Amino acid sequence: MLDLRSLAVGYRNTRGTVLSGIDLAAEPGDFICILGRNGSGKSTLMRTIAGLQTSLDGVVLLDGEGVAAMRPATRARRIAVVLTERQFNPGLRVEDVIALARQPFTSWRGGLTDDDRAAIADAVAVTGVEPFLRRFFTDVSDGERQRVMIARAVAQTPRLLVLDEITAFLDLPSRMEIMALLRSQAKQKGQVVLLSSHDLDLSLQLADSVWLLDGDGGFSVGTPEALSESGSIGRAFDTEAIRFSPSQGRFEIQMSASASP
Amino acid sequence: MAARVSTSGAALLASLAALSLLTLTYGQIALPLADTVGALTGTRSSDLARQIVLEIRLPRVAAAIIAGAALGMAGVLMQALFRNPVADAWSLGLLAGGQLGVALTVTAAAFAGPAAVSFLTFFEGPSITLAAATGVAIAALAMLALGRRVGAITLLVIGLMLGFTSQGLTSVLLHFAARAGGRVYGGWRDASFAGVAPSALAWLSLPILIGACVAVATAKPLSSLLLGETYARSLGVKVTSLRYAVLAATVLLVAPVVAFCGPVSFVGLIAPHFARALAGTARILPLLPLAALGGALLALAGDAIVHAPWEQHFLHLNAILAIVGAPVVILILIFSPAVRQWR
Repeated sequence: MLDLRSLAVGYRNTRGTVLSGIDLAAEPGDFICILGRNGSGKSTLMRTIAGLQTSLDGVVLLDGEGVAAMRPATRARRIAVVLTERQFNPGLRVEDVIALARQPFTSWRGGLTDDDRAAIADAVAVTGVEPFLRRFFTDVSDGERQRVMIARAVAQTPRLLVLDEITAFLDLPSRMEIMALLRSQAKQKGQVVLLSSHDLDLSLQLADSVWLLDGDGGFSVGTPEALSESGSIGRAFDTEAIRFSPSQGRFEIQMSASASP
Repeated sequence: MAARVSTSGAALLASLAALSLLTLTYGQIALPLADTVGALTGTRSSDLARQIVLEIRLPRVAAAIIAGAALGMAGVLMQALFRNPVADAWSLGLLAGGQLGVALTVTAAAFAGPAAVSFLTFFEGPSITLAAATGVAIAALAMLALGRRVGAITLLVIGLMLGFTSQGLTSVLLHFAARAGGRVYGGWRDASFAGVAPSALAWLSLPILIGACVAVATAKPLSSLLLGETYARSLGVKVTSLRYAVLAATVLLVAPVVAFCGPVSFVGLIAPHFARALAGTARILPLLPLAALGGALLALAGDAIVHAPWEQHFLHLNAILAIVGAPVVILILIFSPAVRQWR
C-alpha cells in the first residue's frame, strides 16, 4: 500500500541529502516504528513520506499514487500527521481541534455531515479524550494535548498515519497506552501507521517492522527480533557508555566506561 | 454553538439598531424620536428634521457602522493570520501606513500643482482609497515578514512604534501639503466618522463588501491555520496562497476606513475577543459576523459619546476608544494564555 521507490530525502541547501536509495514497502495494518538517534533523518523522512516536503529523488506511492503529485486536498484525505510542534491557538477548544480534521471532507463552509460526526465520535471514543472536549486546547496538559492531536489524526480517517516523536513528553504508562492504541488502529482499520520514537523498548515490543536509521545515511529494515539479533540496533545506538544487549532486548550501561573511583 | 452564534448575533443587531436610532435623535439640535423615524421613513416630518437626519447624522452613523464592522472582521483575520491575540490593523501599524500613503499622495499632488489637486479632489474617493490601500498593503507585508521572526509582544511593540513613526511623518507631510494648497479633512488625522460625505459612503462600503466576501471565502482554511502551518498543510491548505488571500481581504477591509475615517484605534483589536467570548469558539466563520456587529457597535458607541450634547465639543473618537480599549488590551496581555506562552 505504501511504497518508497529509490527515495532520497534531504534539503536543497547546505544540509544536503540526508538519506538516499530507500526502497521500502508497507501493507495495510502495518505498525512501523522508525528508530534512530537525534539528527539521523527520522523527521525528514517522515515529512517527505507525508508529502510535507519534496523528495530529492525517487517517489513515495500511496495505493499506487505519487504523494508529491497529489492535490493537497486529496492528500489530506489519505494522510494524517501528528507532530511534536507546539502551536498556541487562541480560543480553540479541544472539540474544535478534533473537528478541524474533517476539513478535507467538508464543503467551503466547513459544516459537518453525519459521516463527519461519526468519524469524530469514533476518534473521541478510541482515544478517550471525552472528559476534556469542552476545555481550551491551551489549557490541557502535555499528555492530553498529544492525545487530542492523535484523536484529530484518527478523525481524519487516513490510509496512512504519520506520527513524529509524539510520545516524547509523556510518562511511561501514557506512552504504552498510546503505542498500543495506534497499533490497534492499524490492525482494525487496515491503516499503515508510521511512528518515529526514541522509545526503543516499546517500539521493539510492539512494531511489526522497524526502520532503523544509523545516523550516517545508512538504514536497515526488519522485524524487531531480526534487527536486535543481527546487531543493527547496537550499531545505530551504542556509545562508549551504553551498549545494546540483544539477549535482554535493552541497553546496559558499560561500567568500565563510566569508571571513576 | 450555532444557536449561541445566532442568538448573540440577533442581540447585537438589535442593540445596534437601537443605538443608531438614539444617535440620530441627538446632537446640536435634539429631535424627538417620532420626528427622527419620520425623517427616515419619509413621512410626517419637517424639512429641517429630514435634512439633519438624512444629510448630517445618517452618513456619520452609517460610516461608524460600516467602518467598525470592517475593522472587526479585519481583526479576526489578522489575529488568526499572525496567531497573535493583540494583532489588528491599528496595533500592527497598518492604519498608520495607510495614513502615510494618503498623506504622501496629497502632498505630492499639492506640489505638482493645482491641476493635480483638483484631479485629486474630483476623484477623491478612488484616489485616496488607492493611496491608503498601498500604504496598508506595504505595512501588512512588512509585519507579515517580521511576524515569522519575532514573538507576539515584540511584533506588537514594533507595530506601535512604526505606527508612531508613520503618524509623525504624516503630520509633517500634511503641514507642508497645507502650505502648498493640499488639504485633508481636519478630523481625519485623529479619526472621526463625521467627515464622511454621503457621496463617499459608496467608496467606503464597496471595497469593504468585497473584502468581507474574501474573508468569508478564506474562513475555512484560516481555521486550520490556527493549528500551525504544518498542520494546516497536512489538512490540504495551500498556506502561501491563503496568506495572500487573507492579506488582500484585510487591505480591502481596512484601506477605505483609513481613507475616509482615519486611524480608528482599538475597535479591531477588541471586537474579535468579544466575538470569541460570545461564540464560544475560535472557528473563523462564526466569528466574522459577530466581530463585524461587535465592531460596529463599539465604533458607534464611541461616536455616540463624542456627539452627545455636551456643552462644548471636546471629545475625540480615539480618546473614548482608548479609555475603553487600552485597559481591555492590558487585561488580554496579562491573562491570555496565548500571550503567556510566547514568553
